[in-house]
Amino acid sequence: MNRVWLVALLGLLVAGCGQQKKELRLLNWSDYMPKEVLEAFEQREGIKVVEDTYDSPEAMLSKLQAGGDAEYDVLITADYTVGSLARAGSLQELDKAKIPNLKNLDPQFTDPAFDPGGRYSVVYQWGTTGLAYREDLVQGPVESWAVLFDPARQVGRFLLLDEMREMVGAALKFKGESVNSTDPAKLAEVQTLLLEAKRRSQGFAGGTSIRDRLIAGDIAVGPAYSGDILAAQAENPRLKYVIPVEGATLWTDNLVVLKKSPNHELAYKFINFLLEPEIAAQISNSIGYATPVAAAMDLIEEKDNPLIYPTQEKRARLEMLSDLGDQADAFNKVWSEVKSR
Amino acid sequence: MRRWLSFHAWLVFAFLYLPILVIVALSFNQSRFGVRFTGFTFDWYIRLFSNERILEYLTNTLIVAVVSTLVSTVLGTLLALGLVRYRFRWQNALRYLLYVPVVVPDVVMGISLLLLFDVVRDAIGWPRLSLFTIILAHISFQIAYVTLVVRARLMLLDPTLEEAAKDLGATPWLTFREVTLPLIMPGVVSGALLAFSLSLDDFVVTFFTAGPGSTTLPLYIYSSVKLGVSPEIHALSTLMVGITILVLLLGTLFWRKRS
Amino acid sequence: MREAATPWERLRQMLLTIGPGAFWLVLFVLIPTLIMLVASLMSRGSLGQLVPPFGLHNYLRFFSDPLFVEIIGRSLWIGFWSTVFIMLLGYPLAFYVAQSRYKEALLLLVVIPFFTNFLIRVYAWIVVFQKEGLINGLITAFGLPPAELLPSTFAVYVATVYTYLPFFVLPLYAAVERIDWSQLEAAYDLGARPIRAFWEAIFPQTVPGLFAGFLLVFIPAVGTFVIADLLGGGKVTLVGNLIQLQFGSAQNWAFGSAASMVLMAMVLLGLWLYARTQGEKGLDKLV
Repeated sequence: MNRVWLVALLGLLVAGCGQQKKELRLLNWSDYMPKEVLEAFEQREGIKVVEDTYDSPEAMLSKLQAGGDAEYDVLITADYTVGSLARAGSLQELDKAKIPNLKNLDPQFTDPAFDPGGRYSVVYQWGTTGLAYREDLVQGPVESWAVLFDPARQVGRFLLLDEMREMVGAALKFKGESVNSTDPAKLAEVQTLLLEAKRRSQGFAGGTSIRDRLIAGDIAVGPAYSGDILAAQAENPRLKYVIPVEGATLWTDNLVVLKKSPNHELAYKFINFLLEPEIAAQISNSIGYATPVAAAMDLIEEKDNPLIYPTQEKRARLEMLSDLGDQADAFNKVWSEVKSR
Repeated sequence: MRRWLSFHAWLVFAFLYLPILVIVALSFNQSRFGVRFTGFTFDWYIRLFSNERILEYLTNTLIVAVVSTLVSTVLGTLLALGLVRYRFRWQNALRYLLYVPVVVPDVVMGISLLLLFDVVRDAIGWPRLSLFTIILAHISFQIAYVTLVVRARLMLLDPTLEEAAKDLGATPWLTFREVTLPLIMPGVVSGALLAFSLSLDDFVVTFFTAGPGSTTLPLYIYSSVKLGVSPEIHALSTLMVGITILVLLLGTLFWRKRS
Repeated sequence: MREAATPWERLRQMLLTIGPGAFWLVLFVLIPTLIMLVASLMSRGSLGQLVPPFGLHNYLRFFSDPLFVEIIGRSLWIGFWSTVFIMLLGYPLAFYVAQSRYKEALLLLVVIPFFTNFLIRVYAWIVVFQKEGLINGLITAFGLPPAELLPSTFAVYVATVYTYLPFFVLPLYAAVERIDWSQLEAAYDLGARPIRAFWEAIFPQTVPGLFAGFLLVFIPAVGTFVIADLLGGGKVTLVGNLIQLQFGSAQNWAFGSAASMVLMAMVLLGLWLYARTQGEKGLDKLV
């Protein structure tokens, strides 16, 4: 019995001791940063990078709000969360003089809709959310969001994406609106549209589930992320991707620095590091999404692949998500209703 | 009768291991996507062994599970003992309190614990979020489960046995160690197993109470949701199940030889 | 009851046993619950966090919308039937394990599948149920048309039963292992037939374990949400999903806390009502 207490106490002590080497604490999606890149930074600066992961932006937001924002230095987060985080006072306004490599960015990304002036964030990776489909399973052309929202133009079994901004945004696009519209009348229409589509659908699923079920032939079409489909096409070449005619979102994942972090200098160095052309190329080539670093394009393997880098003509159809601010509530209500009924 | 029982039992075991077989199959699957079997390969196992991060997460998970199970089993068993043997003023409130961790949704428990740690940290500067806070959080719900399981066992015990020991001059501690404990051991073991499984698998509460560098396996797996779960995880799961079963088989054989 | 030399010694012993556990529960369970209670009375800030004013508006909203009552009803229904199936599967299993020569090994065998990760196991069920999955593979091999098992309430039931089975078997085993089989023989001697003998002599001995098992399964099963999400395709909304949504995309912590309080109150009330019907000894039997 005494031995048991001793072991337990030792265990608690061991766990309670912290780490002593200088560290950069990063919070990210899992498998979203090649470890070679982290190791290269560790060697260059003589520090340790500790990477933690989260499974959903909302959970991450909740944790940061409940006091977790003192625990990390750098965060890689979705575009639509940057506004909320900034307003909550969690983000450090970037000292751009300390990030000279910002000049390497494609001008399209230096002043994004969700963070005017790029005061708080630097784009890390970007992609599009369009329609992925199995050309051998669909019974009709796939060019429009109508395959999800118009019963008359359904081409096969489909899933809806379990992401509020993307899915509501797609419905808004179908209605000819901006993905950031908060017009109450339009949102009410969208809610009806989504509820009706939900009934005909196989339900809601995350991006990777949709991809997996497409590969399995369980569904014929569904919203998906561009980079996901790239990897999947190696598995099943009948898998295709299209940006619907009404338009789609161009989403970004962004680097932000947390205000309560004691390591701002190190954080800036890290962001600067990630903007170097060779490093940026290494990242994109490894994880399969698009890089915002224009200076890196020559080193990108997929630079001619329209799936990852849409043509100019297609880019005109894309829209970035912006911060909804106080209007976010309207979106939340629609989504709550759609998910619970 | 025994044969029907046996037949039923093995059907249930088959049911229990069906998803495990799927996981094993997927671990050898050439495809990175767990939907169709495209070919046989050991690749994922090889990659698993060179993936230091996953091994670190596994270590974290095991540390948390073992420590929290030890502490909660001890505390829970004692608590069960106290609740059954003694009568005191707040006992009913305590009994209802036991059910709270069982019913409260993980996300609420996680966030409220995080808020609690914040308040304490603002006051006394400690603790920081780390494996330690995760362990504290796990113990909090494990105690409830252990207590409830051990109680179920304890209530079947004949108190006269303990009284007999007392009459023979044994101290309470001796009575507990030699009489009570052996009799409730299956309950304690069941409770400990339950606590261990709960900790090993916990995600939500862990997410909110974890600090940087204290990622556990469930945290990693759940956050793989964006890019898809790597089959290395399937390989890891297969190994964990396989090794445990192997140890179990060896242990049973060895134990049989001894007796 | 233990008899100690003095009341002080008795108190000391009592504190030693109950003390640490009770302290932990109060600190890490009661206090967070109170935090949650306070949260449920607050309102939603622009970022979803908790702000004044205080009030009962969250509860009013909960009880005034028939949707939420429907969700609770559905959760109770699924939770209840899942528990029934678990009991049917688990009760004989506990006996088999307890009577076996290798009982510890078999018990461990029941738990080992749960050393893998919950999410992985649910994904495995997706592979089993999906259109070109295991079950349909078997069905089509016999020339029958494939079944629509994903998403479906059936899949949700199967995965729920699967997930909570050990929660039932473990406590029940603890009781079954202790069974005094001589009472069965005595019943036979008194001329009872097998079924009657079992019911009168053996079943009552398993009741504490049965209760513990029932509660440890039913209560969490009512609050589950991941399974409903992944296998019900988001079409089966349970109270767990509702609460999760509040801390997720709906960003309304106050309402989420209120819903949790309602859930908790329901369970505790149920326990209390049951204990009352059992008279004085009721609470002892139950908790």
